[in-house]
Amino acid sequence: MPNPIVLIVDDSRVSRLVTRQHIIARHADWTVVEAGTGEEALAKAPELQPQLVLLDVNMPGMGGVAAAEQMRKLLPTAHISLLTANVQEATRKRAHDLGIGFMEKPVTEERIARLIAPLEG
Amino acid sequence: MVELSELEHDALVEIFNIGVGQAAAAMSGIVGEEVTMSVPSITFLSRMEAAQLLEDAHRRSGIGSGRDAGERICGVSQHYEGAFQTEAILMFPEDKSLEIVRLMVGESVPLAELSEMEQEAMSEIGNIILNSCVGTLANIFQHELHGSLPVYQVGSSDEILDATGSRAETVVMMLHIDFILEKHQIHGYVAFILDVTALHDLKDQIDRYLARAMGQQ
Repeated sequence: MPNPIVLIVDDSRVSRLVTRQHIIARHADWTVVEAGTGEEALAKAPELQPQLVLLDVNMPGMGGVAAAEQMRKLLPTAHISLLTANVQEATRKRAHDLGIGFMEKPVTEERIARLIAPLEG
Repeated sequence: MVELSELEHDALVEIFNIGVGQAAAAMSGIVGEEVTMSVPSITFLSRMEAAQLLEDAHRRSGIGSGRDAGERICGVSQHYEGAFQTEAILMFPEDKSLEIVRLMVGESVPLAELSEMEQEAMSEIGNIILNSCVGTLANIFQHELHGSLPVYQVGSSDEILDATGSRAETVVMMLHIDFILEKHQIHGYVAFILDVTALHDLKDQIDRYLARAMGQQ
């Protein structure tokens, strides 16, 4: 099986950087692709076919929840999770209703380990 | 002015205390070390007095470090609407912000790149800490709060408060929380600014919370 592809969707460059660092530290051979908005992520996803998509919620443009909803249709088998500072129950419930994961920010080594675990077989 | 009973005041402090605990955990996750946060103090005052209070607190934290009293503050603010309206502001001494960003991204990022991303990184830190705190409040009030994207600003405490758009004569509730990163000698502050209408809404939320807590709803 080819190496997994992870798509990080976050308007914060530093959050993308930290997330990427934690993934690469564990799996230097994985492909990590970044998008700064939900729109950009949706444009990249069909060709990229990532196995894991991590989405921030509060972003300029369509935002992470709307992007996740469309992403789910584009990538029915991919693992999709919100990765957000928005810790409200309402946001967790939206993730649950969409059938996607939810992880609180800040990004830590342990949280990334949990997010990528399904890809590690 | 909104009058709070002793019980309401107590509930307000306790609710923010829980929110602050969540924010401290978030901050600790970012910087990889323990963060101590003070019990919030709540004061009702004009926006000008609020600026003065921040200036004084800032000056006190600078004592012994050889810093100038008039130094600038780096502030990240977010506007929230929903259960009540507020401007939440996270503030650090400007000269510490690069140190905080370094703690966030680790040693491997070169200094030039670090400086370049400083503003954006501080906005993200503000976003995480303020959302941790406000999100906890929303959960306690069982009412969603919608936040704007973070706005980054550098200036005096007066300029930072000006940027939130509150008028000089507006009565504001300043919720003042100190947090301290012991190993790095960094003091920061979180302040919530609410105008009179927002204070009434907040009081309503507190009363509902108290009624629920006492089994009346």
